[in-house]
Amino acid sequence: MAVPKLQQLSKSVVQGPSLATGAIPTRDWMDIPVVFKSGNYAYPAKKEKVEYLNKQSGLHFPNAREWSPEDEDWKLPEGWQEIILKGLKERLEKFRSLKIFMDCCVRCGACADKCHFFLGTGDPKNMPVLRAELLRSVYRNDFTLAGKILGKMAGAREMTVAVLKEWFMYSYQCTECRRCSVFCPYGIDTAEITMMLRELLHLVGVGINWILEPASNSNRTGNHMGLQPHTFKDNVEFLVDDVENLTGVKPNISFNRKGAEILFITPSADVFAEPGLYTAMGYLILFEAIGLDYTWSTYASEGGNFGLFTNNETMKKLNAKMYAEAKRLGVKYIIGGECGHMWRVVHQYMDTMNGPADFLEIPKSPITGTVFDNAASTKMVHISEFTADLIKNGKIKLDKSRNSHVKATFHDSCNTARAMGLLEEPRYILDHVVDWVEMPENTIREQTFCCGSGTGLNTDEIMELRMRSGLPRANAVKYVHEKHGVNMLSTVCAIDRATLTSLMNYWNPGVGVCGLSELVANAIVQEGETRGELDEGLRTML
Amino acid sequence: MDLAEGFRNHREKIVNKWVEYALSTYISSGFFIKERDQFANPVGGNIREALNRLFPLLVRGADSKEFLAPLEQIMSIRSVQEFSPSQAVAPLNAVKHITREVFAADKERKNLVHELYDFEFAVDLAVLAAFDIYMQFRERLCQVRIAEIKSGSHILTDSRCPSKLLSADNNRVLTKANGI
Repeated sequence: MAVPKLQQLSKSVVQGPSLATGAIPTRDWMDIPVVFKSGNYAYPAKKEKVEYLNKQSGLHFPNAREWSPEDEDWKLPEGWQEIILKGLKERLEKFRSLKIFMDCCVRCGACADKCHFFLGTGDPKNMPVLRAELLRSVYRNDFTLAGKILGKMAGAREMTVAVLKEWFMYSYQCTECRRCSVFCPYGIDTAEITMMLRELLHLVGVGINWILEPASNSNRTGNHMGLQPHTFKDNVEFLVDDVENLTGVKPNISFNRKGAEILFITPSADVFAEPGLYTAMGYLILFEAIGLDYTWSTYASEGGNFGLFTNNETMKKLNAKMYAEAKRLGVKYIIGGECGHMWRVVHQYMDTMNGPADFLEIPKSPITGTVFDNAASTKMVHISEFTADLIKNGKIKLDKSRNSHVKATFHDSCNTARAMGLLEEPRYILDHVVDWVEMPENTIREQTFCCGSGTGLNTDEIMELRMRSGLPRANAVKYVHEKHGVNMLSTVCAIDRATLTSLMNYWNPGVGVCGLSELVANAIVQEGETRGELDEGLRTML
Repeated sequence: MDLAEGFRNHREKIVNKWVEYALSTYISSGFFIKERDQFANPVGGNIREALNRLFPLLVRGADSKEFLAPLEQIMSIRSVQEFSPSQAVAPLNAVKHITREVFAADKERKNLVHELYDFEFAVDLAVLAAFDIYMQFRERLCQVRIAEIKSGSHILTDSRCPSKLLSADNNRVLTKANGI
């Protein structure tokens, strides 16, 4: 019989060169080296970006050089092991959470199948428990008695180049989304382990460009794009013109205006790239409709903080600029736009790093009088909290039928859902502005699946990886798309708006992506408006 | 005992083995095979559902156009995972061997093994269609990448900042390029 038998078929499949094939591994995980090849890693940071960052006060980015993950020699600095181990020691002393996370995991496996990278790849090193073991094994070897005596038997291993390469591979196959942490009985924040891995890698000059270039741009001009003040201003003004053309009402805007009541900060992607542009138009329409006394800033022109994906010093510095600008302008408080990780930084780290912001007032809506006590320390209110309060108090007139072209669902962004508990407000808003349905229960709210491209992994050279890690999210969207005819995935995060667009283009063509404020503005009925039938809301081409 | 009855009796067994085989191509396959919630386990859920839909189509020798939906469900996933093209498609082929093994192990239906030509031909057609679909998804992936680059998200890096264009370094490059 010429037909090969099943076992032979398996053999031919299994012996292929790929990582994700081969059924049950025959070697211990520590003995399987990582292999870098085009498409499975993000490009390393450009030399000049690292040099620039290293020159900034308070920042430390050594060993700028040209290098490639595919090279055998990563051109690590002399004594790199000592640098890493010293860095780990310092962090164990500085961050008690890290020490606890290193010690308290019992390897129960509750997190193992909760990671979108594991679910999309089937690679066991993407199980959060094992990703943490990559660091924990080195911790055991050099910082615990059992590890020092028993070595590998106690799950310990030396810090070698192979281990370092493994760290690079898997700390950049984690989006710090913290879904696994929801299921951990000990509350281990696995995202913070990834953060530590990335910090340690930066100590020896190992980082990716998609993160360090926006971080350096933010430090230089105030935003990821590197837009200078005049360009930022021009872009917002273009949007003002667009809004006037569509609705007949020209929003009043101002930049860097001292004495404004409120400073508004949003991701720069909102004023530069589709579909964020429509979200920014949404802010303009909403603020005009209620006559808000606010100002944009061309210096604090970025909500995002790629320092979160880099190291705590960079995160602190980039976060500080928002508050420095609020102080300079003398505003009462800050309203923040639809961003993901900005809110994680503000809610979880800002107070420790730069707070409390005593020079600002506890946010109080000038329209409804509501005091946002939840922001008593950070003095920063989320646009969805602010909008939901306006709707609840009947302060904006809404016509839901203006969104009749949309059947929406809502993607809870990891950071706003899990790091600040923003679960009800967006839903309350959606109820009032559009016809929408929920995705399945185990994919929303605190169990939401990441877009798959957060933490600076939204770069196109790893598109396949992003499609794999985004599969759990896309799979849930597909379900409501097929069952309920959903044609729009709404969200409150700028990275989501960019990355989910690509994710939908691959997995669910026919489903668009929008910010929540776009849907709000579509439905707002403004005084003095002369808008005609806008079949596609703010996206209508006139 | 005819072939149709043989397929009816052994359908569940064959499809289960087929699903397990397809999922065993992942390194850590235990969870993919065990977890039945399609949202908690999208790879396992989709492959299980698609193979369940595909099997009766193969049995009745349906038109290969009818194969498209379940094949797309599988190949959309496998074409972005770390498989070579042949590895991505190979699990489809397995059903031929699984069916033979299952029939051969059943004393009453051993003789049906000789009547599987049409079924195996249908599997061959499905495998060929799967190659086409694999390529369609690779092409789509490429388009997604291009669309993203064009959308402006790329401005996060490599942006053509006007002042950067006027920098001394760039001026040298520009003047050289223009022959000045």
